Amino acid sequence: MNPVIKREFFGIMRSQQAIAMLITLTLIFSLTVLLRWPADGSVDLSGRRSMEVFRIFGYGLLAGVLFLVPAFPATSIVNERNQGTLALLINSPLKPFSIYFGKLSGVLLFSILVLLCSLPASAACFAMGGIDLKYDLGMLYLILLLAIVQYVTLGMLVSSFVHSADAGVRITYCGVLGLFLLTLVPAALSRGAFLTGWTSSLMNSIRSLSPLPPVMEIMRHESIGSVGLRQSSSTSSFICMALISSSIFAIITLTRLNHRIFDRSRAKGLITDERGLLTRLFRRLLYIVDPQRRKRGIPWYLNPVMVKEFRCRRFGRTQWLLRLVSVCAVVSMLLTIMAATSATAWGVETVGGLLVLLQVILVVVLTPSLASGLISGERDGGSWELLRLTSLSAFKIVRGKILSVAWTLALVLMATLPGYLMMIYIQPGLWLQVQYVLVCLVFTAIYALAVSAAVGSLFRVTAVSTSVTYVIVILLFLMPILIWLARDAPFGYETVRVALLTTPVGAALSVIEAPGFQQYDLLPFAWWFAGVTSLLMFLILGIQVWRLTRAV
Amino acid sequence: MNDSDAVIEIDQLTKRYGEFTALSALSLRVGKGQILGFIGPNGAGKTTTIKILVGLLKPTSGRAAIAGCDCFAQSRRIKQLVGYMPDVFGSYNNMRVSEYLDFFGAAYGIGRRKRSARIDEVLELTGASDMRDLFVDALSRGMQQRVALARTLIHDPQVLILDEPASGLDPQARIDMRATLLQLSELGKTLIVTSHILPELARICDLVAMITTGKLRAFGTLDQIMHNIQQRRKFEVLLLDATPVDRVSELTSKWLDDQQSHVAGEEPDVIGEHSESVVRFTTSLNDQDVAPLLTHLIQQGETILQFREIVTDLEDAFLSVTGIAEDAVSQPAEPTAETDVALAAEEVQGP
Repeated sequence: MNPVIKREFFGIMRSQQAIAMLITLTLIFSLTVLLRWPADGSVDLSGRRSMEVFRIFGYGLLAGVLFLVPAFPATSIVNERNQGTLALLINSPLKPFSIYFGKLSGVLLFSILVLLCSLPASAACFAMGGIDLKYDLGMLYLILLLAIVQYVTLGMLVSSFVHSADAGVRITYCGVLGLFLLTLVPAALSRGAFLTGWTSSLMNSIRSLSPLPPVMEIMRHESIGSVGLRQSSSTSSFICMALISSSIFAIITLTRLNHRIFDRSRAKGLITDERGLLTRLFRRLLYIVDPQRRKRGIPWYLNPVMVKEFRCRRFGRTQWLLRLVSVCAVVSMLLTIMAATSATAWGVETVGGLLVLLQVILVVVLTPSLASGLISGERDGGSWELLRLTSLSAFKIVRGKILSVAWTLALVLMATLPGYLMMIYIQPGLWLQVQYVLVCLVFTAIYALAVSAAVGSLFRVTAVSTSVTYVIVILLFLMPILIWLARDAPFGYETVRVALLTTPVGAALSVIEAPGFQQYDLLPFAWWFAGVTSLLMFLILGIQVWRLTRAV
Repeated sequence: MNDSDAVIEIDQLTKRYGEFTALSALSLRVGKGQILGFIGPNGAGKTTTIKILVGLLKPTSGRAAIAGCDCFAQSRRIKQLVGYMPDVFGSYNNMRVSEYLDFFGAAYGIGRRKRSARIDEVLELTGASDMRDLFVDALSRGMQQRVALARTLIHDPQVLILDEPASGLDPQARIDMRATLLQLSELGKTLIVTSHILPELARICDLVAMITTGKLRAFGTLDQIMHNIQQRRKFEVLLLDATPVDRVSELTSKWLDDQQSHVAGEEPDVIGEHSESVVRFTTSLNDQDVAPLLTHLIQQGETILQFREIVTDLEDAFLSVTGIAEDAVSQPAEPTAETDVALAAEEVQGP
């Protein structure tokens, strides 16, 4: 047996978290089926009831794969490299393929265990009748297995490029979210448009990278997930695209598994101030804010921790923030212009819904990455003690850290304002709705920030805190939407309403009257819920920081 | 040293975690401008002591004060008085050295203009001026140690506590670090330095404290500690070959027996090493008393290549103290004369 498989698999299985995860998943799946198990004596010959249970089970399993699988491969190579064991492996008689295959198999074996945990529940679904073993259950497992392979290979690819486990987790989760959701956007945006030839094939191919359409097809939800360009079954195209993308990820990773992975010189620390006048002028034109200029000291009126947070983030530097804000502004303007030019097909409400979703995706992707490591990053890197030694109070440290995330989120949210302004210009009557939507989005950002910072502060290792925070934040924001997707069956109006109340996103979508959300009246309770939860989370963060700063 | 001269005062300092005693009644005092070498094996209680001194831990009992300020009750003031350099660098990604020092300067509340001048000063002092534009996460270990020292000095503290400052440094960097520490001492800073490289410490320290299993085993100047430990000196007789080793051992043993017969309880300790053609012995006799042994051996027809005392250094002293302390822990019932000597050092309150 390949020793790397043994080490990887046993290494994962030895961790208490992995065992806890498997037991929890088994319990959740079993309970879900039990809760929906028919209690009356009548037999449902149509298979409607079993399909309702199967849908919860299927989407739950997909969510489980989406949230739990990427964390393991995302750290597998970078951790080995940072600990020096990758150099030992590469210097051993093992070939790069054996190392890669070993690592891949170790993580895949664990992921298959996650799938196996759901077997009792799936057997129960099957026993209820109306579910085809080959075309429903078998196909669902095949799709999920391929999605796992795709995410694991992507995670390992990212892991071979990054410098820290934390960065690996962040980028992998963003990549997985991109593959899962963003690949659907081009096809969704071109809905109703007359596209032929290569444009159509390209959009279809991009859409086929996501396992969501085939899973929805299995769940008989084609009308939601497959609108637009799709004519043929999305299952076969997903199988094809998953295999192709996984192979590409694997080949690129394999080419990196050699001595060149360590061949990286130290950054020279070039400074623009010491370069020629022409270079300085050119760089000023190119960057506006030159990242290599010598910085002035932190002024007295700014929180030093906040400035430090911005400076030590790669994407926190001013030039990156400017780029991020510009991209957001351009995308929001484009969305609105597209709505204005094809208003008959879309309508302002649909565009509003898309804008809200764009902002929520930005918030969900950005916030855990910025806020989860606020405390754990310092503890992990050994600088928490240094901060404790300074004259800064615990309150000032936390305030600086939270402000650094809050400002970034505020900039991103403000960058999408031009889109709303265009909407108001097109339809002035939307002014009040837009105000409500903006309040909802502010609550969304605060909610995501509070949850990420509080959850992240509970862990000592940054990679773990980032993974757990991503899982929780995505669950909090995606779960209500998944429940909304099943709003006709199995979930009734009240269940969906309660689920949507737990997220300000639902409120924003209902205020903007996005299709499917018009019938839910969620304000002001959704604001109260988000506000109180955020306060609780900030309280947890405060207690944790107090615990960590006091002398015991 | 008068009471008023002491900058660091530790009195009966104890730290317990449940049943486990990490630090037991530690008492010592260090004066202004002195360098204290704080020595102990891993887990001896050094870091616990340091963390109490910098206000990161609360003592279970006893008191620690720096410049008259209680380390726990006045921790805010202590932060200004003490500069602590832990053995972990505490790097931040994507930050240049100047930005890194600027942040810590701002965190200590130094104004922007003064901070800029201070950054230049500390970089100059630590020989890190050419590193100011480098990224901290791309520094080598030696560079990191210099920058860490610069960071520790940024708020101009009276007392510096340095945990393993020479760890991982190349010989030249060690020499530079040693010179910097001596320079800081000359500037009137009081230093506590922990290190596992004992010869390094021996060269710079005014005082040495040895600690094992949370207890102070020896404290004083290097000479005082050596004197306490060297109750019995070690000598070596180097022979031409291994043939006469047994004969010389016997002669030496008999001669020492005759000379030491008046010293109560002292048995001659003579070991012959055939592989090295050497006879080693320990004795409490002074130079004048032991010199006739050489004459005696030559008169007996032995050919002696060398006859010399094996000089005890800080490493030997440390091993001796820790060894005796371990013996004392494992055999608490019958204290020997040696354990008395070493453990008596616990009573030492200062040079």
